[in-house]
Amino acid sequence: MENSSVKDLMIPISEYATVVLGTPLADAVTALEKAQEAYTASKYQHRAILVLDNNDNVVGKIGQLRVLEAIEPEYDVKDKIKELNHYNFSEEYQAQLRNKYRSEVPILKTEQLKVIATKKVEEFMQKPSSGEFVAESCTLDTAIHKLVAGRHQSLLVTRKEKIIGILRMTDVFAAVFHEIRVFDV
Amino acid sequence: MRELEKLYNRIVQRVNINLRELDFDVIPFARELIPPDQMTKFYAFYGITPDHPLDLHFKHSALAGSYFLGKCRINNSLLYKSDIRGDELKRKKQVFRYQNFEIPLTTDEVIAIEDSILVKTLVHNFSHDPETAEKFFIKNTLAMDYSNIHGAPSDGCFLGPFATVDLTTMRDCAIGCYSYVQAGEINHLRTAPGTIWVNSPGNFNFLYSYPTEALAHYVSFSPENVPWGVLFDFIEDRKDAFQRVFDFVNLDAIESIPDTASLDRFAVVLPKTRIEDNVLVAQRAYLENSILGKGANAQENCFIINSHLEGLNVTAHGAKIIEANLETGVFVGFNSFLYGKPESKLNIGKGSIIMPHTIIDIDETLEIPADHMVWGLVRNDKELAENSIALEQLVKVETSFSRGKMHFEGRGKLFVKAFKDRIHHILDVNGAFYDGDKNEGHAQRNQNLSLNTIQPFHFGEMEGMYPDIQIQP
Repeated sequence: MENSSVKDLMIPISEYATVVLGTPLADAVTALEKAQEAYTASKYQHRAILVLDNNDNVVGKIGQLRVLEAIEPEYDVKDKIKELNHYNFSEEYQAQLRNKYRSEVPILKTEQLKVIATKKVEEFMQKPSSGEFVAESCTLDTAIHKLVAGRHQSLLVTRKEKIIGILRMTDVFAAVFHEIRVFDV
Repeated sequence: MRELEKLYNRIVQRVNINLRELDFDVIPFARELIPPDQMTKFYAFYGITPDHPLDLHFKHSALAGSYFLGKCRINNSLLYKSDIRGDELKRKKQVFRYQNFEIPLTTDEVIAIEDSILVKTLVHNFSHDPETAEKFFIKNTLAMDYSNIHGAPSDGCFLGPFATVDLTTMRDCAIGCYSYVQAGEINHLRTAPGTIWVNSPGNFNFLYSYPTEALAHYVSFSPENVPWGVLFDFIEDRKDAFQRVFDFVNLDAIESIPDTASLDRFAVVLPKTRIEDNVLVAQRAYLENSILGKGANAQENCFIINSHLEGLNVTAHGAKIIEANLETGVFVGFNSFLYGKPESKLNIGKGSIIMPHTIIDIDETLEIPADHMVWGLVRNDKELAENSIALEQLVKVETSFSRGKMHFEGRGKLFVKAFKDRIHHILDVNGAFYDGDKNEGHAQRNQNLSLNTIQPFHFGEMEGMYPDIQIQP
């Protein structure tokens, strides 16, 4: 374990759910389903979709929370609340109002879901931040530190400039847990 | 290039430099602001009274149709039909109290207007800023038609038409048309048209935003057009009535005014209007077929038409009351537009507060119960329910509430108290409580006011500008 490197635990990008820029959300979800069906190496299923540009470079990621955020009427709420920021209203008041507005607008409405399904992935994908990358040759120590410090669910694994895989927190945790379990205290 | 044009360009540039961070360019709005020929058409005038210092300095400025009272310094500025009313400025040897500070004043407070353009703007009250207690400054500022700068020192600001900034020091701000701001101090703020914001940090915070399209029907302006809307049309339709009072130097006094009341000679009073004791009618007010009961007042740019004010009513600067009955103690805030119709009267119960910049425009009779607070746009019973609250209910608010497009945070009790205290103060300084001996105010003192006129250069490079003048006793 001490000598393990990132590449020992990473999932190659070819086994992950990927879509290209311009893909509607509905197709991205289908791609995730297919990748989950094909993946048998671990009991933990993929939970995110990677977004690629025309040169197959990873330019973004869509997690489950991101999809749920997209179907919430958050964007309208943001506009209403934004104004209050300029006029000295407290954070508590804004949070209270956010909840009020959210509760007034139903989420699971057919019309709303139809609109979301046709939206392009780039509208709600998350661009990777600088702390989200880890080289394939790095030790697991480095990877664990990056996961914890950045509160990431996964890291993008690089070889030189290219992203070649994903290191998931679930796989790192399983490996660490397996090592701990042998110490029968 | 004539001097007037040079001055205009200089001021516009200075305002723009201050507003560059807001990415706000005043040039498109300022282009047609004042046709140069208007600047020679109207004389300026000032009040002489034993109750206020006569201390006026005009330097390199144009002052067409503007009025001055008290201690004023006007430098490198362009004023058009504006009222610079220094009758509430602090006086030498007074102590100005601000929070825990007691600030002794070593000189009379001055209204100092520098490098600014004010169009049909009211400047009144005094500086509430402890950092500048003796100087109510307005510099590098452009204020458009019917705006109010009320106790609000200003540096590098733009005020759109019918905007009011009240008891607030402002720096580098652009205040949208028909917005009202009372917030103590604001910096680098740009408000959308129709933003009504009253903030006392730690005590209360009130915000209402007019629906954009609905407000545009009443007040609108854009870079391509001169300002337009129902409010402008309403004033334009009555413009001729003011012509007579400004055309004649001496008008016959109206004899039916009680000795305790004051009617400014630059107000318009049309039949059959009745003015009772302790009433104050300021210059540029317009009264027609109305009754102003004891202690009522009509401040600058007010219109009161076919209405009955029972008494102790404040009609703040720029408010308009048409086809309405107001019971005693009703307050109508700055630039409010209460637009009843002959067949659909507006009735407002005792002690109610119509917040500044409220528009009530009705086609059916509307009853506002006693002791209510009303804000925003009200065109029917449904909108009244959404934009009002009983004071009894408001005083019970301890944390926050929202209703329609209004947000409130803080203690309702303090909000109501702030309004009630202020209304009482306004009535008091206006002389509404005068009993023949005590509690004298503007209504009684203004009787000792006489007026002088000053004229601009009519020809040559300086056409429209005024000579440098110092006026002292």
